[in-house]
Amino acid sequence: MSKKAFRPDVDAPEWKGGHSPYDIIKEGSIAIAVVLILTLILAVVFGSPDDPAITLKSWSTTAPVDFATTALSELNGTSGTATYGAPYNSQNSSASQQLGPLKLEYWIGVHIPINTAKVFVINPLKALPGQPALDKDLAVFQNASASAKTAWLNNYTKAAANMKFLNNQVVVNASDAGPVPLMINDLTQMARSGALDEALLTGDSFYTTDYTDSLLFISDGSYLGQVAQADHLTGSQWGMMNETGSWPGQAWLWLYTFWYQVSPMNSSSNGDVEVLAIMLLLTVGLTLMPFIPGLRSIPRKSKVYRIIWREHYQNQTKD
Amino acid sequence: MSSFLIGALINLNHPDHYFQWHIFDISAANAIVIILMLATFIGALLLPFPGRRRRKENQ
Repeated sequence: MSKKAFRPDVDAPEWKGGHSPYDIIKEGSIAIAVVLILTLILAVVFGSPDDPAITLKSWSTTAPVDFATTALSELNGTSGTATYGAPYNSQNSSASQQLGPLKLEYWIGVHIPINTAKVFVINPLKALPGQPALDKDLAVFQNASASAKTAWLNNYTKAAANMKFLNNQVVVNASDAGPVPLMINDLTQMARSGALDEALLTGDSFYTTDYTDSLLFISDGSYLGQVAQADHLTGSQWGMMNETGSWPGQAWLWLYTFWYQVSPMNSSSNGDVEVLAIMLLLTVGLTLMPFIPGLRSIPRKSKVYRIIWREHYQNQTKD
Repeated sequence: MSSFLIGALINLNHPDHYFQWHIFDISAANAIVIILMLATFIGALLLPFPGRRRRKENQ
């Protein structure tokens, strides 16, 4: 029977030298203790970031015009969420991200259906108790013909370019806008009171921790982007690896966020799925590294192991 | 008193300094952490194993 040739990166040679005892439990325990002590010391010395969450209440209090303008875009169907396509609504397939010919978002379909006018504006307003004028206007809006609604929304949207917030009221000099002015103003008041946060948080389960609706609404406005920009957290600022304040962030995400800085991902409407594909490819490459000729030889050829076990190799040379 | 007790010794709740070069943009805090990680890696390569001297003496 012929003996197979030794393959340097695949076969392990039989060890014929000496052996020494090694207590991995002891080493692991020491490592855990050191990490625990370091964590406690660093927590006491530097603390940790604890910025208050941005809510619909804080947004509408700080930037009421931005909130009201965004609420209008949810009502007239022009917001980012309303025009996003899958998974939120059935817009045309070109609105969804795709990887070459693979229309991934479109194929997965609408599994978080959101009609922004109903979910973000009409339903929360309906939930407000003791508002006869609003109830009447909501009924008028819902029973109106599609053309009447469109006309009201168009008239209000045109005038909303000069929207102001005066004396705690949304002021828009719109004519023939039907019930829209009252709806937008009341939703703004509702948000400023904190009631809209509660209305959008309510879910079907016992624990109401599903913030999807609130977060989508907030992200449709420009306030969140401005806060993120100021904290160096946006995609173009390598924000994925940053933290608020002067704390270190997720430095290990450098490669993920790096791809967002280079062409074509930095200007592509499919940037997210393209970066995801690159990282998946690299992860598969890393996982299969022992099976990839050339790549698997790097540890042997770079000889870093000889630095770690230099004493052994020095003794070997002496012998 | 309670705010003193739960407050950190060094306040990092202020805007960080950022180093920008070409497309690269990194915060001072992240740069320090990365430098410390590299220093730990180089230290792990070059520093002698703990207990090596004791083992040598026993031999």
